[in-house]
Amino acid sequence: MTTTAQTIFPRTPAKPFYFNTSGHLLRITTQKANTLAELLAALRVCPDESIFQHTFRTLQEHHFIREGYSNDFAHWALAACNEPGLAEQLAGVDVREFTSLGELRERFIQIVEKHLQLNPADGPRMAEETFYFCASEIEVMPTNFVAETMQDFTRGLREVSVHSIHHHFIEARLRLKLMSNDFSQWLHEDVGLTDAARALNRIDIYTATLEDVRRQMVRLLERSLT
Amino acid sequence: MNPQAKPQTATNEPLPHEHDGPALSAQPLPLHPERRKAPRTWETPPAPVSAPHLDDYKTIIGAAEIDELRFLARKLKGRTVKMVNSTAVGGGVAEMLNRLVPLLGELEVTTHWDVITGGNDFFEVTKAFHNALHGSEYHLTRAAQEIFLAYNEQNRQRMQFPEDLVVIHDPQPAALRLSRKEASRKESPAHWVWRCHIDLSNPSPEVWGFLRPFIEQYDAAIFSSQSFARQLPIPQYLFYPCIDPLSEKNKDLDEAFVQRVCDEFGIDRRRPIVMQVSRFDRLKDPVGVVQAFKLARKYVDCQLVLAGGGASDDPEGALVLKEVKEVAGDDPDIIILDLPPWCAFEINALQRASTIVVQKSIKEGFGLTVTEALWKGKPTIAGAVGGIPNQIIHKLTGMLVHSVEGCAYQIRYLLTHPEFAAQLGRNGREHVKENFLMTTNVRRWLLLSRILLRDRTV
Repeated sequence: MTTTAQTIFPRTPAKPFYFNTSGHLLRITTQKANTLAELLAALRVCPDESIFQHTFRTLQEHHFIREGYSNDFAHWALAACNEPGLAEQLAGVDVREFTSLGELRERFIQIVEKHLQLNPADGPRMAEETFYFCASEIEVMPTNFVAETMQDFTRGLREVSVHSIHHHFIEARLRLKLMSNDFSQWLHEDVGLTDAARALNRIDIYTATLEDVRRQMVRLLERSLT
Repeated sequence: MNPQAKPQTATNEPLPHEHDGPALSAQPLPLHPERRKAPRTWETPPAPVSAPHLDDYKTIIGAAEIDELRFLARKLKGRTVKMVNSTAVGGGVAEMLNRLVPLLGELEVTTHWDVITGGNDFFEVTKAFHNALHGSEYHLTRAAQEIFLAYNEQNRQRMQFPEDLVVIHDPQPAALRLSRKEASRKESPAHWVWRCHIDLSNPSPEVWGFLRPFIEQYDAAIFSSQSFARQLPIPQYLFYPCIDPLSEKNKDLDEAFVQRVCDEFGIDRRRPIVMQVSRFDRLKDPVGVVQAFKLARKYVDCQLVLAGGGASDDPEGALVLKEVKEVAGDDPDIIILDLPPWCAFEINALQRASTIVVQKSIKEGFGLTVTEALWKGKPTIAGAVGGIPNQIIHKLTGMLVHSVEGCAYQIRYLLTHPEFAAQLGRNGREHVKENFLMTTNVRRWLLLSRILLRDRTV
């Protein structure tokens, strides 16, 4: 039945899309690291909100940079520890491949552990700057944008803040527990635009700014609607 | 000083602050600006401009972000906040509160601002505390403790705290907070937050040991940098200092005004301009900037402008200015400007005219002059100290340096790689827009209020 409905009203959503957004407040935790060994120890015990802050959230804080900023651990390994090899591996961790902060934490632990096994002298060497673990406290709120049609949806995409884009497109997988995002889920389940949903999910967030991502999404949807 | 007095200008023409914007009528620009022997400075401060409204920021951060502030504030409607600090005028905290309080009010979060009172003896003690918390040596006497506590008690008797959230700024009024036990006995409803604006990374153990028991009675503390936080049994939050993009020092300026300021000061805009805006203070290393400039200029043509103040009312500032002039010698490409504190428009114009901004500090709190330069899209070179690395991500939003030689090299590099320099400028402006604007600060206050008051019914 769904197929028939989609054939008749291919662009009429079954349910509206409610654009939400989130605000983040930075809490300074008690964990800090002056060496790679201390980083490893803190990675094991820091709150999940710290893993979120230094990966998902930092991507938003630096959303305007196209080159060279993926997460705070990688940045510190390069800038304060002068460990380009380790930094490259840490930077290679793509948050989109994780649907839980526990898995993401494990990945960082594995990388640092392996580096220290191969390079034990690096463990106690003092970094040039301290790494302070922060944690993100989140408040979710609505926006003025509700999409009942695809036209509303593309307008919403154009006009919501980048915080809202990040909330639905990047943070969403932690809520959904799926390798997807709120926009793609809605396009697939409630609009029937499965190809567009897949294409949206493939947009690279590491080589584009969030404004670029927004533009790519709008272009992609406009193409799929014509 | 008469705040309403009309500033005196060479031509007696209207100044930017007499209009909605800094629109001076365009003047024919001299081909060869004549250098003045002494820069023009206003003899009286300009009339204060009225505080902007929330909607005025729409063109800067976008309507969606303003709407988000309104949504954040919605759940706080009817809540009240009190801000308490030690001065109503002068200083960064008062300047920030002057903008923050009306904006929160516009969002229907009624915010009161109270200032504590005290005699000279109190402010002498708190000044000594301030320096000691920054790391200066200080012996805390019994008498100083008693003066501090007596004035705090006097202010507590004078003030009332019926608000939902009370925010105490800096150490001077820190002892206004009753112990939790006593507050509970008096059924005081408020959540109390201590907002520390100063660098506590290396405090005098005596002074911090004295203040710490008071701070522990608060519900939360806020610091300006991760490194300033202390081991405390209460949640600690990070609020970066911020700039107001609509203030005289940061708002957009008419190009003709920028040109005229440069002409007045004898700055040739056809050649690259390297600028440092800072008090004449050794911690800002103006002598190091002159040395770096001289090294760089062996390979690239440029002028250096050192614009600052503090030399007229501070004996040490005068001494530093003298040292800077000695190192500069009679070099016609080094322009040293000792400006009075109310030259915000002129500082703004000078920053906008710069090709590169330098802030070669040796020690720094947060470094708001860096924020100002980044906001104006200027490629910025700065010492990797204090809060500067929070603003300058090396090679992405600016260049961090550790020495005179490093600074000289980066001046040469940026002047000869204008595309890279322009990219740094663009990234730097976006970084400020995302993290260090007044509107971001309003957002943080709303978030904190929601988080602290989350479980309480109105």
